[in-house]
Amino acid sequence: MVKPRSASRLHPRDNRLLASLADADYQALVPHLEAMAMPLGLAVYESGGPQGFVVFPTDSIVSLLYVLENGASTEIAVTGNEGLVGISLFMGGETTPSRAVVQSAGHGYRVRAAVLKKQFESRGELQHLLLRFTQALITQMTQTAVCNRHHAVDQQLCRWLLLMLDRLSSSELRMTQELIASMLGVRREGVTEAAGKLQAQGLIEYRRGRIVVLDRPRLESRVCECYAVVKREYDRLLAAIAPAR
Amino acid sequence: MQANRLLASLPRETYRQLAPGLVPVALVFGEVLHEPGAPIRDVYFPGRSVVSLLTVVDGHSALEVGLVGREGMVGIPLALGIGVSPVRALVQGAGSALRMSAARLRKSLQASPALRLGLHRYAAALMAQITQTAACNRFHRVEARLARWLLMTRDRVGAGEFHLTQEFLAHMLGVRREGVTGAASALQRRRLIGYRRGDIRIVDHAGLEAAACGCYALVRQRADAGRGWAQAAS
Repeated sequence: MVKPRSASRLHPRDNRLLASLADADYQALVPHLEAMAMPLGLAVYESGGPQGFVVFPTDSIVSLLYVLENGASTEIAVTGNEGLVGISLFMGGETTPSRAVVQSAGHGYRVRAAVLKKQFESRGELQHLLLRFTQALITQMTQTAVCNRHHAVDQQLCRWLLLMLDRLSSSELRMTQELIASMLGVRREGVTEAAGKLQAQGLIEYRRGRIVVLDRPRLESRVCECYAVVKREYDRLLAAIAPAR
Repeated sequence: MQANRLLASLPRETYRQLAPGLVPVALVFGEVLHEPGAPIRDVYFPGRSVVSLLTVVDGHSALEVGLVGREGMVGIPLALGIGVSPVRALVQGAGSALRMSAARLRKSLQASPALRLGLHRYAAALMAQITQTAACNRFHRVEARLARWLLMTRDRVGAGEFHLTQEFLAHMLGVRREGVTGAASALQRRRLIGYRRGDIRIVDHAGLEAAACGCYALVRQRADAGRGWAQAAS
């Protein structure tokens, strides 16, 4: 497995949104950026709670989950180094209905919401970039909703694995079946069955909390259209943002 | 008074500048305002009308992900700087709206921080609605979702009676037509709604609220907290 690089070797520009900022906008933000470790399971924010910080993941992936009163949850979207977590803070919604949890351990940079909000309002290019990311995120949420409704669990699992792979630097994920079940909002047995199918076909290898993707092209040919729709929108909307460092 | 709450919430001066670009239109049931992948030529501020945002799979409406009425605007991507719609916007409740050209809205957005703020806040509320809908579709039974959907429609139309076909409801809820028939009959047996040949009438507002999943109350609370809108017609 590729170990996350040590925090000291990380750079804010490992986040592609930060890397895409014009130099003046970036320099204005840098003094306020604070490096943070993001261990698996860390709640970046809770639903309905106040969010003091906006987080830019670098080598971590954050999942936006909707949690029901009975504790059942389902993933609405994932964000990695292509974006930021805490959109509603600069959009003017004070709280969000989702919970943000680290799904793949790594690092990120956080900035006080008030600081980012001020810069969002005063810096046109920064605003433009963050709004484009917002629209891409809306597309992902929308497609997740339709995928949850219409597609089989093994197809959803393919979609989810591909979204993760796009945001990781390796083809191996540390992941338990329970965690996947809570992401997809299905029972654990459903995940076991779906993962078993993909394994039997030689697409993935699953053992002791690790998933290795063996055959990405076949995963892509098996996935529902939802993955391609989201990927196309992200590529189109975020065409201007920098590639990973 | 301005029927659209989003416009009504803007500072008077901002509204005064927008007004000349707002054209009153009557939206017709089933009219498509935006198609996925196509440029957004106009945005709409519903008054008495209600517009569904639908995801399209293989060219067919597959699921409603958002509902826009007098609390909002149809064409939010433009407010985020994007000129293309990701969804189909379909008129679900006929009625009045104000239309503005995309070019005019872009110009106004550049000129008015208050308008930007208002539309960004609404975009955040719409994201909350999409989130809730995604979870609701996953977990809740058709009957509870139908109840929620009827109540959301009521709040946006401002009336407890509307005309809807079962096929249409099936698209909205992402289920088969038989699923809608079953759920509507169940609500009717409980004397919560009257349903005949597409005419739906809410009979028992409190009862229907109790039959809806918790998502209805949550989205409404959040919206009310964000901006005092959507007084029920009950």
